Amino acid sequence: MLSNNMLLNLNRSYGKMSKLQDQLNSGSKITRPSDDPVIAVKGMGYRRDLGRVEQYTRNMNEVNNWLDSSDESLNQIGEQMKRVRELVIQAANGTNSIDEREKIKTEIDQIRKQFQEVGNTKIADRYIFSGTNTGKPLFGPETDANGNKTINADYTNLLDNTVVSTTATGDQKVSAPNGEVKIEVYDGLQMQVNTPGADLFGNLDALMGKLSNLLDPKRSPLATSEEISDALGGFSSTSTSDDITTLHNKVLEAQADIGARQNRVEMMENRLSIREISVTKQLSNNEDVDYSKAITELVTSESIHQAALSVGAKIIQQTLVDFIR
Amino acid sequence: MRSTFMGLEASKRGLFTQQSALYTTGHNISNANTLGYSRQRVNMQATPGFPTAGLNSPSYPGHLGTGVEATSIQRIRDEFIDRQYRQETNKLGYWESRSNAISQMEDILDEPSQFGLNAALEQFWKGLEDVSTNPENASSRRVAIERAAHLAESFNYMDTQLKTIQGNLGNEINVATDRINSLLRQIAAINKQVQEVEPNGLVPNDLYDARDVLIDELNSYIPISIERVPSGGNASNVAEGSITISFKSYSTGDPIVLVNGKNYVAMNTTGEKSGPIDSNDLTNVFKQIEISDLDDPPTKPAAGAGVKTIKHNDLEPGKGKLLSLINSYGYGEYDAGGALISEKGYYLETLADLNKLASTFANTFNEVHKGGFDLNGDAGVAFFTGDGGTPETFTAANIKVNEVLKKNSSLLAASSVKGEEGNGKWAIELANLQSKSIGAGGLTITVGTNTVVIPPSTEHLEGATFNTFYQGMIGKLGTDGEEAYRLNKTSESLLLTLSNNRDSVSSVSLDEEMTNMITFQQAYNANARMITVVDETLDKIINGMGRVGL
Repeated sequence: MLSNNMLLNLNRSYGKMSKLQDQLNSGSKITRPSDDPVIAVKGMGYRRDLGRVEQYTRNMNEVNNWLDSSDESLNQIGEQMKRVRELVIQAANGTNSIDEREKIKTEIDQIRKQFQEVGNTKIADRYIFSGTNTGKPLFGPETDANGNKTINADYTNLLDNTVVSTTATGDQKVSAPNGEVKIEVYDGLQMQVNTPGADLFGNLDALMGKLSNLLDPKRSPLATSEEISDALGGFSSTSTSDDITTLHNKVLEAQADIGARQNRVEMMENRLSIREISVTKQLSNNEDVDYSKAITELVTSESIHQAALSVGAKIIQQTLVDFIR
Repeated sequence: MRSTFMGLEASKRGLFTQQSALYTTGHNISNANTLGYSRQRVNMQATPGFPTAGLNSPSYPGHLGTGVEATSIQRIRDEFIDRQYRQETNKLGYWESRSNAISQMEDILDEPSQFGLNAALEQFWKGLEDVSTNPENASSRRVAIERAAHLAESFNYMDTQLKTIQGNLGNEINVATDRINSLLRQIAAINKQVQEVEPNGLVPNDLYDARDVLIDELNSYIPISIERVPSGGNASNVAEGSITISFKSYSTGDPIVLVNGKNYVAMNTTGEKSGPIDSNDLTNVFKQIEISDLDDPPTKPAAGAGVKTIKHNDLEPGKGKLLSLINSYGYGEYDAGGALISEKGYYLETLADLNKLASTFANTFNEVHKGGFDLNGDAGVAFFTGDGGTPETFTAANIKVNEVLKKNSSLLAASSVKGEEGNGKWAIELANLQSKSIGAGGLTITVGTNTVVIPPSTEHLEGATFNTFYQGMIGKLGTDGEEAYRLNKTSESLLLTLSNNRDSVSSVSLDEEMTNMITFQQAYNANARMITVVDETLDKIINGMGRVGL
């Protein structure tokens, strides 16, 4: 009877120690749902929350990637626009010789090519200004008679809203080039990360084409200084679009938009990191082992176990038999 | 006139009786560790005094003692504790087996961990989010599809494992029934021996002990009641007789006699479909236990005669290992007319929940996926495949990622609009299915002009999301497990207390036996000395008398 009791108690104390050891090894209060169903289910929820936060943080990187590249590209465009303005102002000077005009034209053509290249900016195999058609470049590969790349045929379709197919749900229009690329940054919160380039770059390219044409020494009759300075836009301009000032403003506008979104992303990132900390804390409060407590308990059960063993050893070896001769 | 040798006779009786007591002590010590052994005691009684009363008996002052005799050897046992002990074995049998079944399920579902179904779902949703940020990237698509495959395999794995264990439980029901049959047979065999021996005035203590051990074990399988039937003839007053064992139906209260004297019954499990329970056919859930006619050996009931049966509702809830096994494996519920109402059972219900989750998940995901457009500008195909029928039915066992998608990752419909490779908005919607509650009302997903409507269906998750539904399953498993473990532990402690009580009455205490040994030995020695004394007195009479002066 005594020995049965002792055996049971020893087994229990082994069980308790093994449980504490499990806790210490895994760092978690529970190893199976029945240890504490509430903790288990809550833990699953918290872990899911944490997973989502981690995913959103990952998405954030992608968002930053897009925004930074777009910003950088538009910045380049802005700088070059300044140069274009200088060139046009220089060209509007009536005293320019044909040669000089020719040189200015060459530089304008070069800048046009650069614009096209910027329009075809790629990050990780994606054309960032091609709307949702990220697989296709904005310009080329088709070229016009002068060997200049032309804007992708799909994009010209877009501008007049051509219907490309009709399905049960209605007409399918090509909206891709102006399509928004969206990335989820929080529960149900999606952020547009691209700057649709079809309009902006299309108009830029058209302007550059027009300038190139104006400055063409072979043009007859040669463009007058007024015609050229009209292209500068501004207050004296009679044209309402397609002049340098308007387009430069549009570029700046797009940059400002990106800047605003970058601010938003920054705020989102802060919020996510705060959320990550709080969820991790909840998760840890919920199921992490209090080490000092667990170790204390383990030491306590160890000493109890040892006491039980030594007492048990004493009880078991002694019977009356030992004393009868 | 007293006999000259009367002193010798009285001491001889003392010698013999003390010797029997000493031998019984030896028997006790030998059996100190025998399971179920109860210590035995020699009941001693003084023999009738001299002279005995009678017309012709000599007139004699006083009544002279004539020694001692061993009237019987009795085992020391408390029937009341036995009864309590057996009630508790019932419960322990039930909860032990149940916590075992639940613990195995916990092992398979493996929560909380980084490898369970919850984690697989999580990974899949994350994969879809990655697709939404990089829709044109083949590698992110490939990862999402592989994670879907892993998810489907997790479903398959759990299904297989749960079914394997369910099958094992089914086998265990048969093993338990076989064991019950064997116990009944052994008890009947002991009854037979007891009946043969007792009328001769013998008390077969060791047979009683063996029978009690068998009854203890039988009680851990099913709750039974016992009744003693005295043997006739010249039975001793400490004889215990044969034992009648009967099972009392919980629902109707009708008793079924399992063992009566040397006759006993045999039990056979029957499945809902036909034949005995078979681990290869899990749909054949437990229907009833058929009981043969009482005989030695048991005979099949005559054709046409009503067969006695034990159904699930005849077994008292929370008692006996057999019931626990049946509860875990699965059983049919029947109305009064014997028609099947529904099938129940712990593993059966968990599997049904898992199937429901797999099926709702696959159906919903497929419908939404079909609403999107893939990299080639085509509408999405079915993402998961099931049994291949129309309409396709999904279970946790057959859910698979469509082979076409596995070969060609561009078929993942991530775009909300036809022909836009950089559009990941549909993938976001797919990923957001994780937080959609799946209720009876169906679901509508809209991105821009693209709308997918999932019509109301009878199969839904009562408004839970996929993750929370699974969490609910785990929560239920956890609470059930907690209950089973706790009650198992309580029963164990109670049983130990009772077992200690029983031991304090019946078990062999070496100290006590050693004390007895000394007592009996000394008594034996004293008797021997008494004989020497008588011998000396006789010597005086026979050899010393009449020899005055010699």
